[in-house]
Parts: sequence; C-alpha cells; structure tokens
Amino acid sequence: MKRYIVYRMLQGVVLLCMVATIVFFLGRLTGNPVDLMLPEDATAEDRVSMIKALGLDGPLHEQFLIFVNNALHGDLGTSIRMRQPAVEAFFDRLPNTLAIIPWALLMAMVIGIPLGVIAALNRGNMIDRAAGSVAVLGIAMPSFWLGILLIYVFSVELGWLPSGRMGGPAHYVLPVITLGAFLVAGFMRLIRSSMLEVMESEFVKLARIKGMSEAVVVWKHCLRNALIPVLTLWGVFVGNLITGAIVTETVFAWPGVGRLTYEAVIFRDFPLLQAVIILKAVLILSINLFVDILYAYVDPRIRLA
Amino acid sequence: MRDRQIVSVWALAVTIAVSLSQPLAAQTQKATPAQKGTLVFAVESLSAQTLDPILEGRPGNATYQAAMYDSLVGFDIAKGGVGPGVAERWELSDDGLTWTFHIRAGQKFHNGDKVTAHDAKFSLERQMAPTSLASAAATLRRTIKSMEVVDDLTLRIKTDGPQIGLPASLSRAVAPEGAIMPKAYIEKVGEEEFRKKPIGSGPWKFVRSVPGDRLEFEAIDYPHFRGTPRFKNLHILLVPEESTRVSMVRTGEAAIASIGPETMRSAARGGLEVLSVPGTMQALYQFWGAFRPDQKDSPIAKPRVREALSLAIDRQQIIEHVMNGKASMPHPFAAFEYTEYFNAKTWKAWADKAYRYDPVAAKKMLAEAGYPNGFELNFANTALPGTQFMVDVGTAVADMWTKIGVKVNIKTYEWGSFSPLQMGEQAQLAGVASMYRTVGRPDMPWRYNGAFGSKSQQHLFGEKEHCGVECQEFDKIYAALLAERDGEKRTELTDRMVKLVADTWIAIPIIEGMGYYAINPRKVGQFAAIPGRHELGDVFERMPSADEKPWKK
Repeated sequence: MKRYIVYRMLQGVVLLCMVATIVFFLGRLTGNPVDLMLPEDATAEDRVSMIKALGLDGPLHEQFLIFVNNALHGDLGTSIRMRQPAVEAFFDRLPNTLAIIPWALLMAMVIGIPLGVIAALNRGNMIDRAAGSVAVLGIAMPSFWLGILLIYVFSVELGWLPSGRMGGPAHYVLPVITLGAFLVAGFMRLIRSSMLEVMESEFVKLARIKGMSEAVVVWKHCLRNALIPVLTLWGVFVGNLITGAIVTETVFAWPGVGRLTYEAVIFRDFPLLQAVIILKAVLILSINLFVDILYAYVDPRIRLA
Repeated sequence: MRDRQIVSVWALAVTIAVSLSQPLAAQTQKATPAQKGTLVFAVESLSAQTLDPILEGRPGNATYQAAMYDSLVGFDIAKGGVGPGVAERWELSDDGLTWTFHIRAGQKFHNGDKVTAHDAKFSLERQMAPTSLASAAATLRRTIKSMEVVDDLTLRIKTDGPQIGLPASLSRAVAPEGAIMPKAYIEKVGEEEFRKKPIGSGPWKFVRSVPGDRLEFEAIDYPHFRGTPRFKNLHILLVPEESTRVSMVRTGEAAIASIGPETMRSAARGGLEVLSVPGTMQALYQFWGAFRPDQKDSPIAKPRVREALSLAIDRQQIIEHVMNGKASMPHPFAAFEYTEYFNAKTWKAWADKAYRYDPVAAKKMLAEAGYPNGFELNFANTALPGTQFMVDVGTAVADMWTKIGVKVNIKTYEWGSFSPLQMGEQAQLAGVASMYRTVGRPDMPWRYNGAFGSKSQQHLFGEKEHCGVECQEFDKIYAALLAERDGEKRTELTDRMVKLVADTWIAIPIIEGMGYYAINPRKVGQFAAIPGRHELGDVFERMPSADEKPWKK
C-alpha cells in the first residue's frame, strides 16, 4: 500500500510540472495584462514603463526560469492586478468556496441517493420515469439559468431569500441548490444503476432466502454495496465543485476561487492564474489520492489488485 | 466709570461674538446634516480592489477610490469636465513652462493632518515612481521637470516644454494621477501599512475591503468641498452578474446598480428608476493601416469609400433598437458637448448631417470609387471593458454594410485578444476595420494623439517611415496645441484637428453612449451624475436619502 501511495504521489508531481508549464505558456499566448490596464490614449512609452514595472519585460524563457525557481521556493508570484501574493489570494478565497461545497454535496446525497434507490426498486414504472426526469432536468438545466430563475422567484417575487452574496444561513440556500442540482442527478443515476446491479447479486438472493425483511435487504445490504462507486464519484464531484463553481459564484456574487480563476483569465493576471491552476491541481490530486486510498480500504479487492 | 466702560466693552465683544457665532454655527449645522443609513452600490467590477492610487487604473479609481481620495484638480460638477479640486485655482507662468497650483485652505486627511502642497508634491512623486502602475507614469516623468513647494498652500510644477494640458491631466475628469495621498502618514507607517489602512481626504473614510466581495466606507462628519455625505455608510459591492445586480436593487439589498442598455427597459418595468448619464462614451469604428504602401489598392485606402460606409449606417436604428433609445447621435471623433476649447454646437450640426443615413448616396459613392458591386471587408468586432454592448452595435453596423453590397467578414474578439493586435507593426490589422471606443473626457488632444499621432500606438494616419500629408499635418497641429495658451487660438487649432480627422473618414463615430444605472427609489433620493462621467465615485456624497428628495413620478 505504501508503495502504491508513493507511486501515486510521484505521478502527481510529474502532472503538476506539466500543468505548471502548460498554464505558464498558454496564458501568455492570450495577450498581455498591460493592454487591459492602460486607457485608450496611453502612449507606447507608458506601455513600456508599465511592462517594466510589472516585471514582464524579460524574454519568455527567462520569465519561465524565474517562475520555476520561485515556485521551487514556494513562491508562486504576486497578482498583477491585486498586487497581493497569488497563493495568499487563493487561500483568502478558498474558504468561501469550501463553505458551500459540503452543503451542496449533502443536499445531493440526501435527495439523490434515496431517489436512486426508489427508482431502482420501481424499475421501468412511472416512479422510475419520474425520478429519471428529475435527473435529466438536473443535468440539462444550465446552472446560470437555474440560479437566475431561483433569484427571480425566491428573492424578487416572494422576497424570502437574499439575491446573493455571502452572509448568514439564508444566503447559502440558493447557491447550494444551484450547485447541488447537478449533483442530485449524478448521484441518483449512479445509485440507480449500482443498485440494479447489486440487487441481482447472489448474496442479495441469499439474504431474501434467509427471510430478511425487504427493507433490511434494500437499505442495509444492497445500498451499502451500491455506495462503493459513489465514493469515487464523490471525489470527482468535490474536484469539479472546487474548479467548476465559477458560474454559481458569478451569479450569486460569491467571492470564491471559481470567480478568482475567471478574473485571473479575464485580466490576464498570469501569476494569479498559474497559482490558482496549480493549487487547484494539488487539491484535486490530493482528493483523488485520498479517495483511492479510502476505496482500497472499503473494497479489499482493490487493495489486492 | 472705568469699570462700566470695561463692562460695556466686554458686553459689546460678547454680543459681537454671539452674533458672529450664530450664523457660523447655523452654517456648520447646515453643512453637516444628520447622516443615517447605508448607501449600497452594486457594481460589475472593482478592478484591482486596492486603495493605493498608484496601483489602480482609471475605472477602479473613478468607481471607488474617488470616494476617499480627492484629486488635485477636480470636476465641473454641473457641466462636466475640469473644475476645482484640492487646488482651487491654477495658473501658468508667462514663459509657459511653470504651473502654479493654489491649494484650498482648511482641508484635512481622515487622521486630522492638514492637506498641504507637500502632500500634493509627494503624491505626484509616488505616481511617477518606477514602481507605480499609474498608466501615465512615464508621461508624467517625461513632462514634469521639477516640483517645488512654495508654501503650505502653493505648489509649483516646472515642465519640460509647454504643457497646457497638465491641469486637465491631473483632474479626475481625465485621469487618476492627481489623487492626493497623505505624505506624513505614509512616511510614518510605510507603504504596506498604508495599503492596509489607507487614509485620504475625501468625503468617505475607509473601513474595510473584503477581496472579491465589497468595500466599506464611513462618511466624514465635517464639511467637505465636494459635499458632506447624507448617508452614514457607503458599501460598494462587487456583483458581476447584471441580472443579480438588478434583482438586488429590486429587493432593496442595493440602492443603485450599474446596468447595460439591454436591461434598462426591464429595470423600468420592475418599478426602478433608470438614470442615464449623457456623453460617457462614443462607440466608433476605425480603419487600420490604410496609409501603408501595401494597402494603396485596397478600397479602404480611399476616403470616399470610407465615407460611403458611414452613410450606410442607420444610426437612429442602432440608437432605437440596440441602445433602447438611450444613446444619441455623436459629435465628431472623441468630442462631446463638454469638450474644452471646441465649438460643440457647430460641430454637432456638422455631425448630424455628415453621419446621416443615406444608402443611395453610399452606393453611388462606391460605384464612383470603382466598386459598383461592393467589395470584401474584414471587420474586427470587439468591445472594450465595461461597454459590452459594442459587440451588438458592431454586428448591426456589419449588417448594414452588407445592404450596400459590401461582403463583410466579421470576426468577434474578446478585448484581451484584440488589444495585442494593435501593438507594433499591426500586421494582422492592416486593411481591417474594427470597432473601437473613446470614453467621455473633456480634453480632446490626448485622445486624438493616441489615435493619429505618428509616434502613437495606433498611428492611423501613418508612422515614422510612412507619414503622408495628413500624418504630418496632424503632428504639426498637435504640437501647436500643446503649446498654445490663448483660448481662442486653441479652439481654432482644435477645429483644424477635428476637420482633418473628419475629412479623412478614418475613425468614425457611430453613437454617443451613456452610463446606465438602476435605482431603487425607496433607498436613495434623486441625484444627478456628472455629465460625461460614467462612474459615481465623485457623486456618492451628493446623494440624498429617499425622504429628503424623492424621485419625481
């Protein structure tokens, strides 16, 4: 097991180096932050002066070597736009994103898992189709549209909830629903198919032959085994939520890392973009490694393999 | 007898003191009315969200830094353009090489320190420092030769050659570089601490900044030359999504939100007030590299063809349908009603005629120029930050050109991708027409030089090696304008410059746009923005409460 973990960590380091190199050069292909910071009537002289002040005047390979050297010393640079250390900016915003993710996951599991079980138990009938429709709706609805719709109904028309921004518990409701809607569908579909597979297993038949009640068979034996693939999906979802909450955070004016990434791209804030992508990659690699290890403990077959 | 005299003198003195102090007290009371409530403003971008003026660009400075910093030269609030600021007046020496700024007395920073000429000098030096990200840092370094504090309220700036436009360039109406920072405080606490706990002399004091979320300010409680705030607090919220901003105004979570023209009607239908600030920008299109020898056979190298393309544009349709009626016919390039040293009325009359819609004349002109069946035109459609509607305007323009037989190859660029194309040799832009913008500023020559000067970045008339008649003429007029002190002669020169550009049809205005805001009338009273000034950073202190001055129905 230790060997496996060390191997996975080495793989992660190689991947991080690749990510850092790609994001460094790709970002610079899209333009120069100076062009976005200067007004229309700025002179060429002003432009040169600002490029120098920002340390963007050297050849690209030199800038890359400086970046690698600094990164090896734990310094991912200073945000061009905010003049704040990029790592600090990331960790300033990360707690805001992490504040909604657990709630979105909880909502998805509380709704998605029972819905998946019910759909599996009622395979092919109206209930299954209704649950399937919920799943399709959750996947098909763009989160920006759902977010705006929720704001219109619950904030503007009914006046029950705030339109957005961070605040008390009421401020969490709409962003969590928007973020969680997609996950509900994912969990529901996965649990349904997983349950159908498990329900055909020999041990389930044996449990029934032994005279166990249907509730115990379904909710204890079947569901416990059907949850194993969900563990993998959980890891993927957390990663996706950290990287992909851009839309939800933008619609609800939530100052998380998703929006920070978007701003870094729009303003061509290279150091911030590099730091955000690298740190997100580290997070995702860590979560996946954690899930893999957990998976190995939950399912001994994985460990043996 | 002597005692009685003393008593009488005392009584007289007391009477005079009381009679003098009463109106003074009344005046003070009038100048500092009761401040209550929080004014909440939702905006799409907080730019760098830093309170250090040397690290922020123009939009951020105008939106939120303006609340807490004063500028050496300020605004003409009623008319728009340049007016008194921290300096109440300024004058130029006879040789045209020294500007003297007279600081108004009695101003103070939020920590109680007096605002003096030392602070003004220190602030300009900070803006000009190599570490400064001020967009005009290099220009200021080149033009300002030396600065001298004559006394606490007088600053003398010597320039490297005549710089008639210097006061304008230190006005927030034009640029952010005139922001006044506290010398003694920054020297005492250091730059890092200043950035954490900034102090200015404006009507609002800094409270806190939550990155990516909001800025909070508290009103000062003493009279200020810009006006004493009527609200106790000011919160500026970053809400990137426009529909969310409007929802927040409708629910009362925000009092004011910046919006685009496409949202105006729905905001008004939702019971909100919609404020349009006139003359904040001009959407235009321009032709790149038409002067180059390799473009001499291109249709766009011919002024008549360029004029024909302008005649094919139905500007009223664009105003009505793209801008929802909240825009107007433009003045000539980069000119507005409030532009200084400029015959606005005469040129407006000219523009109304020149920018008419006449597709028949357009087709005739194309035929006369040798293109009876039109030609192929590459058109780069783009929008500068803050005016996304430019893409819709560009799409409409391209569609109108196709109606006179021009085959338009339209390519839409995100601004960050388009902007690098205009640098250096502009190889990818030669022979291309593109959308562009000019923001509302009172000093026209700078903008003209940025577009047409042979040494400028855009150099639409030509550059060093290929500087033809128009290019040389422009450089000559611009150099004369920089040195001309006489107002009438300056206006004459401006007219010549405008005519030169207008006759070439190389950069053509499409519409004059406005700044748009959705307002909850229950949260803030009626106020007026500064003409030509999109941002509200210099207006917050003059906003009344909803009870004080309700919006007219």
